[in-house]
Amino acid sequence: MDPPLINETSFSAANPSSYTLNEIWPFPPPPPSSTRLGLRMDNLADPDGSLEESTLTDQSSGNGTRIRKTRDFSSEKDDSSKMVSTTTSANDLNDSNGKRRKISGSRSENNDSRAETEASSAANNKKAEQSSKPSELPKQDYIHVRARRGQATDSHSLAERARREKISERMNILQDLVPGCNKVIGKALVLDEIINYIQSLQCQVEFLSMKLEAVNSRMNTSPMTEHLHPKDLGAQPFVATGMISGPQPTREYVQGSQSEWLHMQVGGSFERAT
Amino acid sequence: MTSKHVRATRHTKFIKNRFASRFLRSHLRMKRSDRFGGSQSNEGVRKRSTHRIKIAAYASMALAVGPSRTWSRALLFKLRNRARLQGVLRKRCLVSKKNKKKRVVRNKVIISREPSRTDTLRKLVPGGDSMDICCLLEETAHYIKCLATQVKVMQTIADQLLL
Repeated sequence: MDPPLINETSFSAANPSSYTLNEIWPFPPPPPSSTRLGLRMDNLADPDGSLEESTLTDQSSGNGTRIRKTRDFSSEKDDSSKMVSTTTSANDLNDSNGKRRKISGSRSENNDSRAETEASSAANNKKAEQSSKPSELPKQDYIHVRARRGQATDSHSLAERARREKISERMNILQDLVPGCNKVIGKALVLDEIINYIQSLQCQVEFLSMKLEAVNSRMNTSPMTEHLHPKDLGAQPFVATGMISGPQPTREYVQGSQSEWLHMQVGGSFERAT
Repeated sequence: MTSKHVRATRHTKFIKNRFASRFLRSHLRMKRSDRFGGSQSNEGVRKRSTHRIKIAAYASMALAVGPSRTWSRALLFKLRNRARLQGVLRKRCLVSKKNKKKRVVRNKVIISREPSRTDTLRKLVPGGDSMDICCLLEETAHYIKCLATQVKVMQTIADQLLL
């Protein structure tokens, strides 16, 4: 078994071109190859993965037409695959690419960084052209923002627009949660409704704890006088629902809870003791 | 969309069950301690036990949600630390009354502006002081959901006990 294995390995090491060509073709991420044919096949098969290798070999060889073809191909592939191109920024990007191709030695980084997306994709292209690091930015870093006609495309405006969209989306979620909030128009009024709803819920919790306490005391103290207490309990809900409308009770709770925390502490120690 | 909805309802059911079991347990514990501690139906005692039930409800809610949410974390932190802080503050108040005047003067320096709606919301949602508006709205949504669940469960328990 051993001799044929040694022969094969020595053979493949002796003339790598034929073997590597055949092996490269089916696999998308190919090993680095110095031959021109393997390079073109890499571009056809997987332009994103082998982008830096191809540009590297191209720069070393220095063939003009082929460089342009491969770079055009790669940039188009980048744009279409990531889908982050506003209509204006895409044109700008192509223009800047053309300029860079003409210069191709020293690239100035002044004219880009107009939009967030454009900047990131241009940075990606730059990296690929410089071919210093095989780093392709992960797709989760992009925020999909699409500028309509007449909207500003600088990075601050885009970020602000994204933030506003986020806020309005959450406001919609909140509107669905709070009952009777769908008909209210305007963010301030919606916020008012939300605040009122939270306060009413907290008051309800307080009232229910009162009710539970009443039930407890009734069950503890006198199981005989059960018939008297439902009237008291019937009187309590009215008071509590009257409290719900105003914003005062919760503030009272916030302030008053500090003085009552001592009791909680005592209770906690007692529970720990038992 | 439907799978999300199903997951959300499942999540709320899960929280509901956990909250109910925790709250019932603490409630039982409280009842037992009351029974042993003697039960006078004073106004003060009643208020105290009401407050304890409320605190137990909030604590069990926050525990049921777990530390994944900011508001539950803040609530638990508050509940754990306030008892300790209260003891410290009480000692300080007993020890020194001279410093109190200085403190009052310092507090007057702070300019109080009209609180906006967002500030009110921040006060209502636990842990809302240190959040930006996006996070605040998200936490508010979750908090509202949990509060509604809490109210429902407590209502059910009260009704069952009354019957």
